[in-house]
Amino acid sequence: MKKFLVYTALILLLVPVQTTLLPHVAIWDIKPDLGLVFAALIGVLAGELEGLMVGLAIGWILNLYSAGDLWLNLVTTGGAGLFAGLLARQVAEITPTMVAVGLLLLSLLGGLVAVANMNHASMADAWWMIEFVVVPQACFDAAVGAGLLWVLEQRFPVPRFGILDRYS
Amino acid sequence: MWMVNVRSPYGARRLALGMFALLLAALLLFPGQSQGLFDYLDGPVGQLVRLPLEAVSSLDQGISAMWQQYVSLQHVADENRRLKQDMDWLRGENNQLREAASATQRLASLLRFKEQALPAMVAAQVIGRDSSNRFRSVILNKGESDGIQKDMGVITPAGVVGRVVKTTGATAVVLLLTDPNNAIAGLIQRTRDEGIVEGVPQGHARLKYIPMLSAVKEGDHVVTSGLVGGFPRGLAIGTITAIDREEGALFQTAELAPEVDVDRVEEVLVIQAPQSQSADQTVTRPGPVSKPQP
Repeated sequence: MKKFLVYTALILLLVPVQTTLLPHVAIWDIKPDLGLVFAALIGVLAGELEGLMVGLAIGWILNLYSAGDLWLNLVTTGGAGLFAGLLARQVAEITPTMVAVGLLLLSLLGGLVAVANMNHASMADAWWMIEFVVVPQACFDAAVGAGLLWVLEQRFPVPRFGILDRYS
Repeated sequence: MWMVNVRSPYGARRLALGMFALLLAALLLFPGQSQGLFDYLDGPVGQLVRLPLEAVSSLDQGISAMWQQYVSLQHVADENRRLKQDMDWLRGENNQLREAASATQRLASLLRFKEQALPAMVAAQVIGRDSSNRFRSVILNKGESDGIQKDMGVITPAGVVGRVVKTTGATAVVLLLTDPNNAIAGLIQRTRDEGIVEGVPQGHARLKYIPMLSAVKEGDHVVTSGLVGGFPRGLAIGTITAIDREEGALFQTAELAPEVDVDRVEEVLVIQAPQSQSADQTVTRPGPVSKPQP
């Protein structure tokens, strides 16, 4: 129950932070996708099932405040939680560097799916989107995710960082 | 009966993968039905999310207002804001008058003509930007409960801002003029040639499908043609900055500088009734957009 309330509060707070506050800290008009970052971190720390469920909820609610398609937001954010959880099972120790690399790949994948789904874009527009939106955002997401994990590691005794914690 | 043990890593993995596959299949095979289910839930969830969204937005606006009014040269900021507002109103009035004059010239020979009537509008405030970087859209603090629906046009006194693409009970998402997924029927004011205005990823717009024989030139103004729903005829869209005439192409394409700086827009008007309906019901004098009532 406590976990459910924490996740609900997180999702409700994520909307104003992502839509109202983050545009102020955008670099070259690019802001990190906190929904994707949180879904992936929950997947890593709490397992793929929770990552998927929370990712789907985040994707759905953020989609209410985006012009994008529902299925795309559900699949990219839910998928990020699921695959982050699955990837985390394959490594011995979860470090900020690992999270950065994983988030970079997941964000790139989500961005490429979104560009492929653009209906009226020419090839030049698609390449522009990849070069100036998808790649910088993936780097931004990776940096924010790694930073958040580093802060969590420093401040809280989070389990699941080492393989023994996760499987004991 | 077979049960999944979610506490075991393999059980949780199987369940998560199965759910993801099921969701993917439902979204791809039954897009209408699955979208309908989420649409049904959007209303109450939108109302719930509205509270933190409006709280953070008003805090953000309060801090911005404090910064602009008290920290960064109070009097200059006030004067600048007032002058900008005046300029927007005058620009809107100028465009309306220019369009009215043009229409009068063309229709002077006819005995019967319909004067332009402006439709009903709702004033709304921008409280956020698109939650992703892939779309150029803004979030308004008014939604279905205020009579805002999908496909309604959104303007400022200076010109067109975009079109409503999504609504909840309390909010609406407006796809901006500069988004590549947006398309608005446009008209070159001087030559009367029509085309389609669409955004480009770089953040401006272009007018496509201009006839090859059109005498369009840089500096020409583009207004809404009123042919496709959402916008009445004659609202300013932008000014042509460059023309692309390709050898062997069927049409010309022009780059547009939008009349409204859509990245900084704070208050907008949502056009509620289509032009054709309001023109049939009410005949008023042609003129600029009236100031919104707060």
